Amino acid sequence: MAAKVKITIDGREIEASPGDRLLWAALDSGIYIPHLCGIREENHPPASCRLCFVEIAGMPNPVTSCTQPVTAGMVVYTRSSQVDRLVRRGFQLLLSAYHLRCGECPKNHTCEIRRIAKERGLKLRVKDLRPLDRDLPVDASAGDFVYDPNRCVLCGQCAWACRHRAGVGILGFVRRGMERRIATFGEAPILASGCTRCGECVKACPAGGLTFQKEASG
Amino acid sequence: MKTAATLEVAPDQIYRDLQHAARQRLTGEKEEPLVMVGTATCGRAAGALDTLAAFKEEIVRRHLSVRVREVGCLGDCYLEPMVIIQKPGYPPFIYGEVDEGKARRLVADFLVNDDPCLEFAMAALEPNDIFPTLADYPRGFYEQRVITELCGIIDPTEIDQYLDHEGYAALARALSMDPGEVVAQVKESKLRGRGGAGFPTGLKWETCRKAPGTPKYVICNADEGDPGAFMDRALLESNPHQVLEGLLIAAYAVGASQGYIYVRAEYPLAVERLKTALDQARQRGLLGENILGSGFSLDLAVFQGSGAFVCGEETALIASLEGRPGIPSHRPPFPAVSGLYGQPTVINNVKTLSYVPHILRQGPDWFRGIGTTDSPGTAVFALAGKVANTGMVEVPMGTTLRRLVFDVGGGIKDGKEFKAVLIGGPSGGCLPETALDLAIDFDSLQQAGAMMGSGGLVVLDADDCMVEIARFFLEFTQKESCGKCTFCRLGTKQMLEILTDITKGRGKPEDLTLLWELAGDVKAGSLCGLGKTAPNPVLSTLRHFRHEYEVHIDEGRCPARMCQDLITYYIVPQKCTKLCNVCVGSCPAEAVYTRPDGIKAINQELCIKCNNCLVTCPPEHQAVVKISPPSPAEGA
Amino acid sequence: MPDVENHDELRQVTEILQRHSLEPGNLIPILQEVQEELQYLPREGMRLVGRSLGIPEVDVYSVATFYNQFRLNPPGRNQIKVCLGTACHMMGGYIILDCFERRLNVHEGETTPDREFSLERVACVGCCTLAPVTVVNEKTEGKVTPTRVDGILAGLGFKKDQAAGKVEAEV
Repeated sequence: MAAKVKITIDGREIEASPGDRLLWAALDSGIYIPHLCGIREENHPPASCRLCFVEIAGMPNPVTSCTQPVTAGMVVYTRSSQVDRLVRRGFQLLLSAYHLRCGECPKNHTCEIRRIAKERGLKLRVKDLRPLDRDLPVDASAGDFVYDPNRCVLCGQCAWACRHRAGVGILGFVRRGMERRIATFGEAPILASGCTRCGECVKACPAGGLTFQKEASG
Repeated sequence: MKTAATLEVAPDQIYRDLQHAARQRLTGEKEEPLVMVGTATCGRAAGALDTLAAFKEEIVRRHLSVRVREVGCLGDCYLEPMVIIQKPGYPPFIYGEVDEGKARRLVADFLVNDDPCLEFAMAALEPNDIFPTLADYPRGFYEQRVITELCGIIDPTEIDQYLDHEGYAALARALSMDPGEVVAQVKESKLRGRGGAGFPTGLKWETCRKAPGTPKYVICNADEGDPGAFMDRALLESNPHQVLEGLLIAAYAVGASQGYIYVRAEYPLAVERLKTALDQARQRGLLGENILGSGFSLDLAVFQGSGAFVCGEETALIASLEGRPGIPSHRPPFPAVSGLYGQPTVINNVKTLSYVPHILRQGPDWFRGIGTTDSPGTAVFALAGKVANTGMVEVPMGTTLRRLVFDVGGGIKDGKEFKAVLIGGPSGGCLPETALDLAIDFDSLQQAGAMMGSGGLVVLDADDCMVEIARFFLEFTQKESCGKCTFCRLGTKQMLEILTDITKGRGKPEDLTLLWELAGDVKAGSLCGLGKTAPNPVLSTLRHFRHEYEVHIDEGRCPARMCQDLITYYIVPQKCTKLCNVCVGSCPAEAVYTRPDGIKAINQELCIKCNNCLVTCPPEHQAVVKISPPSPAEGA
Repeated sequence: MPDVENHDELRQVTEILQRHSLEPGNLIPILQEVQEELQYLPREGMRLVGRSLGIPEVDVYSVATFYNQFRLNPPGRNQIKVCLGTACHMMGGYIILDCFERRLNVHEGETTPDREFSLERVACVGCCTLAPVTVVNEKTEGKVTPTRVDGILAGLGFKKDQAAGKVEAEV
């Protein structure tokens, strides 16, 4: 284990291991940075959700904290006008294509989207952007849980969990651009694709894309 | 790796023997008449294969002793199919727009008899007393051909001809140098990457050379995706060995043992000619084990891209080579340190690599003597759109846009008015008339809000709508977005929705503010170069042509009369001659009809706005016009 | 349900696999060869490729659906591609595409019900100076006009009244 170094986040001095990704160092010290796609064990972070922006003294533009290695003496700000603008816009963009039904959603109280809104004072209703609802079919084939692609934020947590935690690997990203989605081979129902119903994907999902049925009834 | 001192026979000597043998094989040919037909893809699209067949047939029919050779692209695409005829006693002549009929006449009149048909000739290839050469025209005068010099002159499927023109001499020279010295030469030349961003090539090579780890890889990026650029295709089809030589030198310099040429599958002819070139290079000992006896070995393979613009981005290209979807990843690490399979990898564009043999042969000082201080060398542009002389041109960096469009390009087609140029494709921007005197290089374009990009240069006139152009590019980047990151996937989609609304007359005044803000956010927030540059066309058109956006929104009018939802076609009764019927016949929707008084009119309900009637109405009448804002009553 | 045709296809895929070293890096060249031979990527064929290369089958599907080149359904006998690169767009390529769509009564990306024609748009074939450009059965043609569209189709044996549902209306 390398010796810990000191870094400053929002004026607070914390200790972290050099080379650690800044996002996790901050979270471990109780400093919140919005994030959806970050996976702690993953050496090559996808950096796709674009919500974990921070400013670092000496760098001209905000950087994603999930990709930023800690170095000794680093001075970090989790809020700035630039950061706030990017986080707000990224969040709005995700919501413009998100089928928001918090009342009906089993994840209502554990949802990371709601947490980001609360922490950063962001509205869940997006006014100025066009709604991009796609009305994709919901997959309830697994019985225990439901996959609703209209509430998927494409963070990839489920596919990672299915492959690396469950060792199954039936979920993955398919298609491209606006059509990109999480699916199985041939976009077949989950149960027909070799799912073991272990539930790792549902636990990993930070939003309403994958939810347990019993949560729904309860 | 052996050094030059320990070699028994220097690579240079082996090379000289190779070249000598190639020249021996070519000597007999030089005394015979020769017909060269440009059969690159653009020539073929204009019918070059029919021309070729006509020449061959006529020559056989007349039992002539004339050789016919396929060559690549001279760059004057507006005159395709192009033919060069070399007959002893005459300078070689270039002929443009040679169809089968002209081909037969050239055989009969010039090859059989002695009339060179100068009425079809465009220029002579060499100075002479009877006919002007290319350099006597503004285009040839202002051009400076380095990497396009042999394009359209040599047979790309025949390595002997490349060898005859000092081909692979630079490789031989490099192989007798220390690899570090090769890197130093390229660094000293200040060559910058021609793929778009202009990163110093020497620096990239040095980073890769110093990076720990073996094997190392070199990749030639020939995934030319800019939907308005074709120089890489033309170079690969016309002179593939030049790129190979550059790639071989790069590999030697950085210490790579394996390389790939990543070509778009949409370029089948380029793929075929590259594969032929690889085979020939292998046969001559210029590729494979112990190249030119130097002890250096490299294996090269052609990899076909499967159609994804984003694969032009380095990390996406690597993902694709590894058998994954072409999805970019965060940099650093940069490929020069950790690229293909996590190994140090140099990725260079076709044009960049094409310069390398010239730099090695003629020295860094020579290269720095061309172009501007910070962007030395030449720039290759694909001139397209509303310019008279479309084609591939090579000019020194620092040439002004005015010179490029009006002298080299021959001005605007049909004498219309210049409006703007689009430079750098979907990642670039548009520059208005006020920028015509800008001396173009990497940095000046960046400052002007455009980008060298791949070198696609589309000229626009008053008939082109800037909002529609911006919408077109956004639609393209949105379709080609990999969809990984939030800003590119959804941000460009939101921008596209707004632009589509505006071109359909549904725009709202507040849309422009939102569009501007979104553009800035997508630029700042996206993960890779595709997303970061996708807003450029929107930002630059908003900056220079904001009034056009406003007219669309406020008046429901498209000033260029291009946006289909904002125009109607109308036949001016006073101009219609009654006597002809071409418009009626040309209409695929049967919307054009004859009124009882004989004058033609358009049924707006049926009109599909295909533009056919406008094009076919004889020029002496010009009775069909486009009206904006649309007027449903007209013509009824 | 695997039928005879399916067996044939799988045999061909097996043969292609035998010609390659079975490593994940060869996935794209293998799929390209499968499509070259079969004109599309059959489902079971993709599964077989995934198993042979030792990668999850969804990864094969990811690649097959990511790239423009790959088709999951058999194309028409005649393949019509309309270039919509910048120059082609500016010179009216979208009008040419419109004309094909109207004549064939299909949208881009679709195949006529009789499987005779499929219509695609392509990003740029690199013949910008001859815009607008079409590629019909691998033959590139420049400066295409709306009237030429009828000529191209006639050359492929398309009869005007072939377009489904249009017969009555045009009389």
